Amino acid sequence: MMCVKLLISRDIPELARHYVMRLLFVDQAVAQAVVQQWSAAPAEEQFEAAAALVELRVWYEKPLPGGMPGWLLNHIFRTNLMTALLGGGTPWIGNKDLTPDKYTKDIPFLDKYALERWECVLHFMVGSNEGTDGVNKDITDVLLYSGLMRVDDGEPSITAEGFQFLLLDTSAQVWFFLLQYLDTVQTRGMDLVECLTFLFQLSFSTLGKDYCTEGMSENQLRFLQHLREFGLVYQRKRKSHRYYPTRLAVNIVSGLSKTKIDTHRPGFIVVETNYRVYAYTDSPLQVALLALFCEMLYRFPNMVAANLSRGSVREALARGITADQIIHFLHSHAHPEMLKRNPVIPSTVKDQIKLWELERHRFKFNDGVMYNQFLSQADFELLRNYAKDTGVLVWEMPEKRVLIVTKSGHDDVKRFWKRLKASSS
Amino acid sequence: MFYKLCSNLLVIILDTNPIWWGKKRLSGEKLSLTHCADSVAVLANSHLMLNHKNKLSVIAAHTDHSVFLYPRPPSEHTSPPKAPLDGQFEVFNQVENQLRSEIKKLIAADKQKLDEMFEPVELPSDSLVAGAMCKALCYIHRLGKECPIGETLTSRILIIKGSEDCPSQYMNFMNAVFTAQKQNIIIDACVLDADSGLLQQACDITGGTYLKIPQPLGLLQYLTWVFLPDFEMRSKMTLPPRAQVDYRAACFCHRNLIDIGYVCSVCLSIYCTFSPICSTCQTTFKILGPQKLMKRKKKI
Repeated sequence: MMCVKLLISRDIPELARHYVMRLLFVDQAVAQAVVQQWSAAPAEEQFEAAAALVELRVWYEKPLPGGMPGWLLNHIFRTNLMTALLGGGTPWIGNKDLTPDKYTKDIPFLDKYALERWECVLHFMVGSNEGTDGVNKDITDVLLYSGLMRVDDGEPSITAEGFQFLLLDTSAQVWFFLLQYLDTVQTRGMDLVECLTFLFQLSFSTLGKDYCTEGMSENQLRFLQHLREFGLVYQRKRKSHRYYPTRLAVNIVSGLSKTKIDTHRPGFIVVETNYRVYAYTDSPLQVALLALFCEMLYRFPNMVAANLSRGSVREALARGITADQIIHFLHSHAHPEMLKRNPVIPSTVKDQIKLWELERHRFKFNDGVMYNQFLSQADFELLRNYAKDTGVLVWEMPEKRVLIVTKSGHDDVKRFWKRLKASSS
Repeated sequence: MFYKLCSNLLVIILDTNPIWWGKKRLSGEKLSLTHCADSVAVLANSHLMLNHKNKLSVIAAHTDHSVFLYPRPPSEHTSPPKAPLDGQFEVFNQVENQLRSEIKKLIAADKQKLDEMFEPVELPSDSLVAGAMCKALCYIHRLGKECPIGETLTSRILIIKGSEDCPSQYMNFMNAVFTAQKQNIIIDACVLDADSGLLQQACDITGGTYLKIPQPLGLLQYLTWVFLPDFEMRSKMTLPPRAQVDYRAACFCHRNLIDIGYVCSVCLSIYCTFSPICSTCQTTFKILGPQKLMKRKKKI
């Protein structure tokens, strides 16, 4: 519970966090007018912060004795936050002191392990044969459920959404995947609340430290096994009483807070102003991803050269991938040398990709009904003016006496025309 | 569309001068070093909690040396930190425990030193704030270098000081302040006792906040209200207005704060009395007395 609160306090506007900190040690309601004076920010921003806190039920309105409206922090939230900051209360994570592990794992090992496991899932999605041995039915189920893959001829294959998913950065992928997984949790007969509690505990644990599985419920243990398959936790043996959270798990929360670069893996893509893309990788997965929106030119043992062209990008756009996703992919996997530059992706390339996307939006389709063959200009103008005034006119051409009104406005205009006819005849 | 990855480093310099704290104790004031350290720990934890990427360092400014309380150098990690026994968040617990144990060590070392001395010796009553600031600047510089490419580190220093200003540190102090200004590091000051002219100048130069606490017992509230918001947030909060700054400089000869003095025309050193040779740059000043009119007369 407390962890959830902590998570919340990281996901709300900065101003709101300061409100909470300031009110933390106040156990009476504080006048809203006073709170307003704390901040010199624009009124909308203050309102937004206050509204966010109300929405999350961190604080609620309570009139002061004098009748002025006031804010009071939620009691449970306040005590839990104080416990987290100052200590006291009951422990919230398997805290039993473990004897030192004979097989202590260090952080690089955990990183490598987590990445391997996660890439396994990704490889499985693109159908490459590398290391798909570890993907079991649970993962496949989630992938099918979320629509990232679908079954064709008994074999699961990737969908357009699946490709979009692959273009996300790792923490966003994990987050998306977990959300989908949690959706399916109840159909497996597991308790959603228990899983969530454990997940939040995980995200607040320390990287490179081992934790004890004792005191966990049957469901949570099962959940742990699933997380182990995705690479969120490391457990040496299924029966082992200790587990290590990996970076994927610890970063779940920061994945929300606008982290855009995979910190644990150096980038490999170099984009030049002449639309050439060089990718220093030998992973078929990365190459396959790049091939989604690039025209492949050469392949070398450790490097691939490709070209961003109008055709290749349009092909990707047609698959439902957006320009932003492409740019984001290039940015988040940019080579360290590229990151030194500002902007990271050459602006010509960035703009051009966006322009190519806009190109596809040149046509806008509106349903409408055409009126033509007016007998006199006066009739035409009368009807046109009426349509214009009611805001249903889409297009007009006075020379040929043609006008088009929206479908929703058609009935109204028709009635008006009939009335006009009746009154004139 | 892309958010700049930005981490915030807060370096807290805590004055642990045993003499000043002892005097406070004797004069019957309720604010004690333990209380102050607790408040600092809560501020530190709040800072860490506000953002995942926030970083923290705490340095103690003692009478004769300054020392890192948190983080400790990695070589000293002999035993892994114990898991907390209560509901406190793990990292927070570590910070608090480490602060406590390090301050205890400091005081124990002092006591031992005193015991070893045969006759009472006058201890300096000021704290090495300038030294601690230099340590902080070095640490900030190192973290900035280690910071992964594409990330930026914004840092600020918060000085919590009780003991009096020491004019003998003036030069070092000012050098540190100007370095901080050049590196875009904000210096905040929270003064527990008497106003400090030096800190006022430091805050004014670097654009930080200076606050003399009216109610020492409410230290924690002052800390969370005024010093928790980072630089970007400050423009959005209503904070105490800038105070009038005492811009008097200390003279280089006697380290007194002076209003009017002599300034070396070469190196801008300040002296309270006239000296024919500048002690900093060794320039000799010729005294130009009244012009001798006798020579002219001779020519005619």
